[in-house]
Amino acid sequence: MKIVVTVKVVPDLTAPKSIDPATKRLVRTGMESQLNPYDEYALEAALQLKERLGGDTTVTLLSMIPETSKETLRKALAMGADEAVVLSDNALVGADVSVTARSLAAALKKIGYDLVICGGLSDDGSTGGVPGAIAEHLGVPALTNARHLEIESNAVKAQRETDTGYQVVSCPLPALVSVTMAVGEPRYASLKGIMGAKKKTLAVLSAADAGIDAKPKTELLRFAPPPARVKARVVEAADGPSGARAIFDFLRERKLV
Amino acid sequence: MQHVIEVVEHRGGQTRKVTFELATQARQLADKLGGTAHAVVLGNGAAQLAENLKTYPLDIVHVAEDPDVDLFLIDPTIDYVESVARATGPSVILLPNTMYGRDVASRLVARLDAGMAADVTAFEIESGRVACVAPKLGGVTITTCAFKDTEYGVVTARPNAFPAQSGGKGARVEQIAKPQSKPYVMRVENEVEEASGELGLEEAPVVVSGGRGLGGPEPFATLLKPLADALGGAVGASRAAADAGWVPYSLQIGQTGKTVSPNLYIAVGISGAIQHKVGMRSAGTIVAINKDASAPIAEFSDLVVVGDAFSIIPELTKLIEAEKG
Ligand SMILES: Cc1cc2nc3c(=O)[nH]c(=O)nc-3n(C[C@H](O)[C@H](O)[C@H](O)COP(=O)(O)OP(=O)(O)OC[C@H]3O[C@@H](n4cnc5c(N)ncnc54)[C@H](O)[C@@H]3O)c2cc1C
Ligand SMILES: Nc1ncnc2c1ncn2[C@@H]1O[C@H](COP(=O)(O)O)[C@@H](O)[C@H]1O
Repeated sequence: MKIVVTVKVVPDLTAPKSIDPATKRLVRTGMESQLNPYDEYALEAALQLKERLGGDTTVTLLSMIPETSKETLRKALAMGADEAVVLSDNALVGADVSVTARSLAAALKKIGYDLVICGGLSDDGSTGGVPGAIAEHLGVPALTNARHLEIESNAVKAQRETDTGYQVVSCPLPALVSVTMAVGEPRYASLKGIMGAKKKTLAVLSAADAGIDAKPKTELLRFAPPPARVKARVVEAADGPSGARAIFDFLRERKLV
Repeated sequence: MQHVIEVVEHRGGQTRKVTFELATQARQLADKLGGTAHAVVLGNGAAQLAENLKTYPLDIVHVAEDPDVDLFLIDPTIDYVESVARATGPSVILLPNTMYGRDVASRLVARLDAGMAADVTAFEIESGRVACVAPKLGGVTITTCAFKDTEYGVVTARPNAFPAQSGGKGARVEQIAKPQSKPYVMRVENEVEEASGELGLEEAPVVVSGGRGLGGPEPFATLLKPLADALGGAVGASRAAADAGWVPYSLQIGQTGKTVSPNLYIAVGISGAIQHKVGMRSAGTIVAINKDASAPIAEFSDLVVVGDAFSIIPELTKLIEAEKG
C-alpha cells in the first residue's frame, strides 16, 4: 500500500517575524524553517500504519515548497518516511488554498497513492482548507480529524473527533485522511534513521511536470499589526482572599460581574 | 459575487449563536452587494430550525430534512450546498469557523472552484468586491484578502465576532430537491459523546480555562466549573491538560483546538504558549492566574494575578456568588 503524507515547511511560529511591505510576503531570510508541526503527527500516523501493516507498505512525503527549503524534509525522512517528492515552481509562489489543493492533487495523481494523510492545519496558511479540497479534486472520500486509524480489507476505519466527542466512520480506499494531534506524539529520528535519510530520494517536480495550471482565487490587499494591548496590571497575591479580591474588583471595574 | 449564503451548523435542530450572527451578516453583506441573503439548513431537525430562522432578516431559507445528511459524513451536505449555490448564482458562502465549518468550506473550495478566507473577523466591500479581514501567523499580522477570478467566495467566520440582530419580514422557506449523486460511501457508524453540554464553548460569554498548573482532572470539576457557572460561562483547557487526559480534547483551546472570543477569558495555570494564544487572544478581557509572574501569558493579559490558583479560585467564586445574591 502506498501512503502519501502531505507536509509543509513553515516558519517557526515562536520566532519573531516581519512582513515585507513590497511583496506582502513573510520575510523568510534568517528565520528557521521547520516541518509544519501538525504534519509530523500526520507522518506519525502513517508510520504507525506502516508498522502495523508491514509488507510492501511505503510512506512518501509530498511537499509544495520552495526548492531551497527541501532539505528540511530530511528530518521527516529520518523519522522513517521512505522518499520525498517536492513540488516546486516559481509559478506556485504565493499560492492560496485553491492553488495549493489543485497542485497537490495534480501531483498525487502523478505519483499515485492508496491513502493520503494530511495534517489538520498549517502554521502559516492556517485555513485547514487544503485537505478537504485535495480530496474533492481527487474524487476520493475525505475523512477529516481522525484520531485513530485502522485499515481493514481495503477500507479505512477511524475515530473522528467532533465538538463533543467522536464518531466512528469508515470509507473505502483510496481515501484522504486528516489527523488530529491525538494520533500520538511524533517519534524522534534514531541515529540510524538520520544516517539512512541522507541516501533517500528527494525528487523535485515542476508545475509543468504535474500538469498544473492554477490561478489564485484570493488576493492579499494589505496587512496591519494587531491592535496593541495595554500592558497588564500585575497584582502579587499575598493569599487567596487578596488575589480573589483583586480579580473581583477588576471585573467589577470592567462591568464583567 | 452578488448573493450571500449561510450554511447552518446544528445538531438535531439545536444550533449555536453564530448561526444568528451569520444570518445578520448575510443580510448586511447582501445589501451592500445588491444581492439576496440565504440560509441552508440540512438534516435532522432542519425544518424546525428553518422556522426559527424566519425571525432573522433573510430572504430564503433552503431546507432539506434528509436523513442521509446525518447518516453519511459531509458528502450529502456538499451536494446540497452546491445545488443551492449554483441555482442562486455568484455568492459569498458563510460558515462558522468550527470543525464543521472548516470541513464544509474546504470541500466547497474545490467543488465550486472558489476562494477561501478562514477565521474572518470583519468584512469590507472594496470596488464591489468582498474583502475579508483575518488574523494570520499566530496573530502577528491582520490580513485583508479579496476574492478574485471566481464566482464564489467561501468564508469561515469567527464565532462571537459579529453581532446578531433578529428582525426582518420573514424569510421564505423552500425545499431543496435531492441532488443526483454517486452513492455515498462515508458512513457514520457510531457517535460517542465525551463532553455533553460543552457544545457552546466557542460562544460562551465567559471562558474559564485550566492548564498543566492544575495538576490533575479534579480541579476542573471542583474549582473551574463552579467559577464558570457563577460567571455564566464554560470551562476550557490548554492542550497540556487535554494531552494529560484530564479533560476531553473537545475542551482544548488554541491553534489545534477551538478559537474563542469571549468577553472574559480567565486562564488558570496556563503559561500562554503561542499555540494557546492564537485561540484566545481576541477575548475582550484576559485575566491570568499564575504562580509565575514571567509566564508568557502576562504579555497579553489585562490583569495578571501572581499566586496560587488553588487558594484564589474558591474565594473568587464565593465573591461572585455573593454579588449575585
Ligand atoms: C503543533 C502544535 C499545536 C499545539 N496546539 C495547541 C493548542 O491548540 N492549545 C494549547 O493550549 N496548546 C497547544 N500546543 C501546546 C503548547 O505549545 C503548550 O505546550 C501548551 O499550551 C502548554 O500548556 P499549559 O500552559 O497548560 O502548560 P505549561 O506550559 O506547563 O504551563 C503551566 C503553567 O501553570 C503555572 N502554575 C503551576 N502551578 C500553578 C498554581 N498552583 N497556580 C497557578 N499557576 C500555576 C505555571 O507557572 C505555568 O505557567 C500545541 C503545540 C504544538 C507543537
Ligand atoms: N504547501 C503544502 N505542501 C504540502 N502540504 C500542504 C501544503 N499546504 C497545506 N498542506 C497540508 O494541508 C494541511 C492543512 O493546511 P492549511 O489548509 O494550509 O491549514 C497541512 O497540515 C498539510 O498537511
